[in-house]
Amino acid sequence: MKTLVFIPAWNEEDSIEAVIADVRDHLPGADLLVVDDGSVDRTAALARRAGAMVASLPFNQGVGAAHQTAYIFALANGYDVCGQLDGDGQHPAADLARLVSEVEEGRADLVVGSRFAEASGYRASRARRTGQRLFSLIVSASTRQTLTDTTSGMRALSHRAMALFARRYSQEFAEVESLQQAVRAGLVVKEMPVEMRARAEGHSFITPLVSAFYIFKTLIVLLVGQLRPRTAGPGGGR
Amino acid sequence: MNSLLAATEPVVRLTPQARIIAAILAIVFMLWILDLIRRDRLLERYSIVWFLLGLAMLAGAAFPVLLELIARAMGVRDATIALFSVLLLVLLGLALNFSVIASRQSKQITRLAQQSAIETIDRPGERESTRPE
Repeated sequence: MKTLVFIPAWNEEDSIEAVIADVRDHLPGADLLVVDDGSVDRTAALARRAGAMVASLPFNQGVGAAHQTAYIFALANGYDVCGQLDGDGQHPAADLARLVSEVEEGRADLVVGSRFAEASGYRASRARRTGQRLFSLIVSASTRQTLTDTTSGMRALSHRAMALFARRYSQEFAEVESLQQAVRAGLVVKEMPVEMRARAEGHSFITPLVSAFYIFKTLIVLLVGQLRPRTAGPGGGR
Repeated sequence: MNSLLAATEPVVRLTPQARIIAAILAIVFMLWILDLIRRDRLLERYSIVWFLLGLAMLAGAAFPVLLELIARAMGVRDATIALFSVLLLVLLGLALNFSVIASRQSKQITRLAQQSAIETIDRPGERESTRPE
């Protein structure tokens, strides 16, 4: 079983080395790829020095394109499973290891680390939690499956899931829409409770108005997603 | 009797002055497009539709009866309303068409960026010889 762990990173020079070390500790058998999404700081250089493979996008393309880069690379290089976690250090690699082994043992095609499922001490601002709950409600309704943390970037994917997302992957609404896509393609989607550390830097400067607009846009994207023709999962539906 | 007729006959027509100005504008517009093509600022494939639009403008100015026919078919009495409606629809269609083109090109750019990103990877075999910054 060949496993790839990748880290999408955009200007994460403060945290990237610690994240790489964390992954090495908990997933020693996996190859490590940093997808540098057009960083203008030393992210790529530090990651390379830490011994990771580094794919540098020539300009910032957004998180969707960064994820998809890794899926395309993984498929082209014969990886069976891939795990991903954010470059800002909020995702503990120990938890990712649990998600990855879930996929390696064939129990799911897509496993999402959830801050909200069962025991997880995550606290976010009220606006953020309201938005999360709304997404969760909509995605759960459209997939007929309870998914509590739809925007989580900590995931593990099977070969089938990677193949699906390498073909088409939302650029702006990657995390939310991919869940809908996966369920509609007949993949087995699961959620596991994880601990997430509060972000070290104050990255979330999203004001309520902006997040309200984002939620509105995502609603439309999901609605349109419901109308898309169902694609049979690669290698046939289950 | 008169009002009944008025409902079927366009009563507001383009004035000769408006027609002359429209014809001049149409010719200037088409010359502009030709110049853009000549200076390599506009691809032929995107220029054809604009050129057709210029020709249509010219035809409308030269033969106002065309516009009146359209107005009658639409059931409006004012030829200028027909003109604005048709123009608005054409421009809406064109704008949507360009959004489709922009979406396709943005997808292509993303694919290119991803391919080039993958090519920047030092393969695992070469990883021992990592560049120290």
